[in-house]
Amino acid sequence: MITREELLQRAKEVIYDAVPELEGQELGEDTVINTDAAIDSMGFTLVICRLEAAFDVRIPNRQWQRLQTLGDVVDAIEKRLK
Amino acid sequence: MRFSSFDTLLTHQAEALGGKPALLWEDRTLSYRALKHEVDARARVLAGEGKTCLGVFCDGSLACVIEIFAAVQAGMQVVLLDENTPDEALERLITYTDLDALWGDEALVEQCRPYLTPGVRDGAGKLLFFTSGTTQAAKAVVLTDHSLCQSAYNGASKLPLAPEDRLICLLPLNHVFGFVCGLLWGLQCGCTVALGRGARHYWDDLAHYAPTAAAMVPALLGFYLKHGGFNPALRLVLIGAGDCPPQLLRRAEELGLRVSFGYGLTETSSGVAISTSGNPFALELCPDDEITIAPDGEILITAPTCMMQGYYKKESDTAAVLKDGVLSTGDLGWLDEAGRLHVTGRKKEILVLPDGTKLYLPEYEHQIAQALGEGELALVLRGGRPVLVLPGQARDKQELLRALYPVTCQKPRGQQLGDILFWGGPLPRTATGKIQRWEIQQKAEEL
Repeated sequence: MITREELLQRAKEVIYDAVPELEGQELGEDTVINTDAAIDSMGFTLVICRLEAAFDVRIPNRQWQRLQTLGDVVDAIEKRLK
Repeated sequence: MRFSSFDTLLTHQAEALGGKPALLWEDRTLSYRALKHEVDARARVLAGEGKTCLGVFCDGSLACVIEIFAAVQAGMQVVLLDENTPDEALERLITYTDLDALWGDEALVEQCRPYLTPGVRDGAGKLLFFTSGTTQAAKAVVLTDHSLCQSAYNGASKLPLAPEDRLICLLPLNHVFGFVCGLLWGLQCGCTVALGRGARHYWDDLAHYAPTAAAMVPALLGFYLKHGGFNPALRLVLIGAGDCPPQLLRRAEELGLRVSFGYGLTETSSGVAISTSGNPFALELCPDDEITIAPDGEILITAPTCMMQGYYKKESDTAAVLKDGVLSTGDLGWLDEAGRLHVTGRKKEILVLPDGTKLYLPEYEHQIAQALGEGELALVLRGGRPVLVLPGQARDKQELLRALYPVTCQKPRGQQLGDILFWGGPLPRTATGKIQRWEIQQKAEEL
């Protein structure tokens, strides 16, 4: 079973890979990732899809707009891994 | 050829084109004849159920398209809903538009069933599209299948597609630009329409369907340019529903794409002017439309065949913008010597975002002011995203964003804040004390 810390680390790797502009910026659980100018709305969609593929989960589209922080995203993935 | 309704459009094309593919969805192909057959069959079922007003959660699927056409044919009023509408807005939207039936995701339909109403008596032929404002300010615009067909005819007469073309429908059908330019435009021209598979497939739908033409909003164009997603067969891109940075259009043209830019409103059943050659920002008027410019520069539209009937159950709002068939758009522009329209900006306190949605500033700014406990602030657009400008020196952005979370988490993605900027001193104001938004907008790029 993947720990939350491992999940967070893997999620950050996926995000840095999908949005190279974020490289060098520290991402924490409370970082509001979808209001950062580096992740526009289309980019955020790309991030979520990459995360879904990486963790083999599906986050319903209706919930995407509620995901504000990296912690929100990790919560959504963790919930579906269980 | 001009069609007076969805039914006449589908009937004619079924007879004229028969087995030619009309719609592609995932790996399924539906011919014009089969499309007409399926719509007829579903319309009979719906008519037998006795419901009067159907809300369709638009997922862009083949079944969704058939449901919309069938419900109109069955004489129902049809309300096109965004399936991503926040929960807290659903009850208000459903009761406001008098829905007595719903179609879409089963769980969502079940969730909304308690809000259903007794329905309507005079909804035949009406399709309601929500203006793309915030959920508080959103108004339902009453269009008809007749007005939508005329809009598709107008667009096709300026920018015809060839029978061998394949148009891809990438935009949500609950947006009138997506409905007319992503779907009806192709059916009007008798070509094949590929139905996009939603946000998860933006990056592979073009490769999957190999379209030759696409209608998209500026944000989507920017995405494809950034990630290199255009397929080799694509030759024509129609951009609409928002301001498009010239550099995006130039980059698309450099890739060999023909780029046209359209201007229109939900209230006019989509486009009234479109660029067909040369300068993409010089828009030729569509056949049924007339544009004049008010003394203050506002664009006024007369579009007898495509104009809305009004805002649903909002007579005073309708009267405020539509007088004697002339629509006050709130947009500013000018006409050149050839009569082509050039759109220059907004008159109202609205930001038009690159995804085509509109942001009503006073309402959003009030919510932010309450969340932060600050009276002085302004929202402007930078890089296609709304950014918040605060007076004074720089502060902890993450702390401010956390304080704003209860407000921003209610907003659609495109309306969430792209950044927070600090003006340095007090925000500039006019002689009458109003925030001088244009000056802030101008300098926002440099902050």
